[in-house]
Amino acid sequence: MKIYPEHSIVISPIGNFGPEITEPVKKEINRIFGFPALIIPILEGVDFALDSGRNQYHSTSILQQLEKSAPPFAIKVIAITKVDLFIPILTHVYGEAQLGGKTCVVSTYRLRDQISAARTDVIFKQRIIKEAIHELGHTFNLRHCNQHVCIMHYSRTELDVDRKSDQLCRYCKILLDDEIKKIGFKGSRVQGVKNPRN
Amino acid sequence: MKRARILVVDDELIMRESLSGWLQRDGHEVETAASGEEALDKVKEVRFDILLVDIKMEGISGLEVLKRVKNDDPDVAIVMITAFGAISTAIEAIKNGAFDYLLKPFDPNELGLLIEKIQESQAQAIENLYLREQYRERTRFESLIGQSPVMQKIFDLIQNVAPTNSTVLITGETGTGKGLAAKAIHTNSPRRHGPFVIVNCGAIPEHLMESELFGYQKGAFTDAKSTKKGRLEMAHGGTLFLDEIGEISMRMQIDLLRILEDHIFYRVGGTQPMEADFRVIAATNRDLHEAIKNGLFREDLYYRLNVFSFKMPSLCERKEDIPLLAEHFLHRFSNETNKQIDNISREAMDEMMLYEWPGNIRELENAIERAVVVSKKRKILPEELPIFRPEDICVSSDNTLAGIEKAHITRVLHENDWNISKTAKELGIDRSTLYSKIRRYMIAHR
Repeated sequence: MKIYPEHSIVISPIGNFGPEITEPVKKEINRIFGFPALIIPILEGVDFALDSGRNQYHSTSILQQLEKSAPPFAIKVIAITKVDLFIPILTHVYGEAQLGGKTCVVSTYRLRDQISAARTDVIFKQRIIKEAIHELGHTFNLRHCNQHVCIMHYSRTELDVDRKSDQLCRYCKILLDDEIKKIGFKGSRVQGVKNPRN
Repeated sequence: MKRARILVVDDELIMRESLSGWLQRDGHEVETAASGEEALDKVKEVRFDILLVDIKMEGISGLEVLKRVKNDDPDVAIVMITAFGAISTAIEAIKNGAFDYLLKPFDPNELGLLIEKIQESQAQAIENLYLREQYRERTRFESLIGQSPVMQKIFDLIQNVAPTNSTVLITGETGTGKGLAAKAIHTNSPRRHGPFVIVNCGAIPEHLMESELFGYQKGAFTDAKSTKKGRLEMAHGGTLFLDEIGEISMRMQIDLLRILEDHIFYRVGGTQPMEADFRVIAATNRDLHEAIKNGLFREDLYYRLNVFSFKMPSLCERKEDIPLLAEHFLHRFSNETNKQIDNISREAMDEMMLYEWPGNIRELENAIERAVVVSKKRKILPEELPIFRPEDICVSSDNTLAGIEKAHITRVLHENDWNISKTAKELGIDRSTLYSKIRRYMIAHR
């Protein structure tokens, strides 16, 4: 029986993601948000969210399913998927998050676009990390930021993602701290609880 | 971009939720309406910057929502959302004032860029409106700020004379706003779209006055390398304001009299008669009756100018306008200097109300400008005003208002053993005002 720390952020890869992707994401999530990050596959697939007419996956349905399946020790859950996501009114989305909620999802489907061949893997990994932090930021009630270098800045294109930094700006950092205080997190982040799934 | 207040109107729940969620994450304040009826109810209660409206809805259609909302508030930006195949309706919507339309499903970039475009356009409109308001405020209110009965009378006079073509003579002390009153007559007259040309008769040397007023032909004199239009020509279609008319030479008075009769003149060195259509407003701080008596001003010119005249009151005659004027200048100078000064302290206002203002509004304006420059706080203090000189105040027991006030305050202070709260209460003023008066009159505690 595994013991998991309370107040963890759970990273749930959907599909085949190796540690070369998941480990850096985990490390960066822990660095930015200060909570322990765990890699636990929660959903086996997302076929339930497929819109056959569009041949895309409805990201809001994935969020709803993630919320239902989230382990109790998870304060936030982020899913990473390779499928192309959409919300009904838009042609596509890179990810979706419940603003101030528990879950978010990031798609890597379009993140390989516009990368020079020589640096494909490095840039691709950076993009996934930035988008994951960005979507998780929304779950901590952070909205899009005007500061172009802030990780919460809305990226219109993949190149915009490359241009922004991997940091929160001073303002977003303060807003994040406020939000963490609201959650009531007092710093004893590693309390053992049982994972009901194991 | 700042946060916009957006109303999403769509009868499909999934569309409302997905769009509002996306917009919220983008930092906007979003409300939704499930029908045209609900949307119209919401816009009655809340002012939205942007409405995203689905064209095809049961009940009141999107197009109808557009028409009704635009009818009540033309500045709201409305974007119509439509499915492929309904472009003609979208085009009709544009004709009815919609900002743009989006075809479902749309690219998130397209939506983001459109919202940015709307916000830029609205910001521009607000800026233009602000500039227009600022301009209007300068030309209308700064010209004539005042709630005092004496100023209300002036407003009425200006209102009456402005639409006519009569020559106006404005008298009054220096700094009372004669030039501003002249400008107000011009801006309220049918000539307002024409030029308002000022000739400061006191500032232009006599030998230059002729060429300044009438202009000159090329070669008329050594320096006349090209033909130059004079102020009379420049005032064509507008108003010629002859400021400090009492300072004009007798020779020029003769020329001016002739011009006022037929509006025909010759450029210096020119032989061709020139005609210009202008209205004349003159102003002076001189007693022209006295000048006529002393042979310094022509009586016929006086009567030619004095078709309609009024006297601008001194600031002393309209002290009740000081707070309004002071606040106005404070606002203007803090804007111009980019300093955040919110108000004038009560003590400073007391000082201004007690002062006699020999230089009138101009002196008040300069005093506030100086105070804004030197002030380091968000409030103007008495010591920041150039008029604040406690040592100048007469402290002897005399019958001036200041003397009586000092004596009275001193007596009440003694009666209350210098208990400031009790004294202030008895005098019907607050403690800070009492302290200000103690400092001002240098009342010592014995």
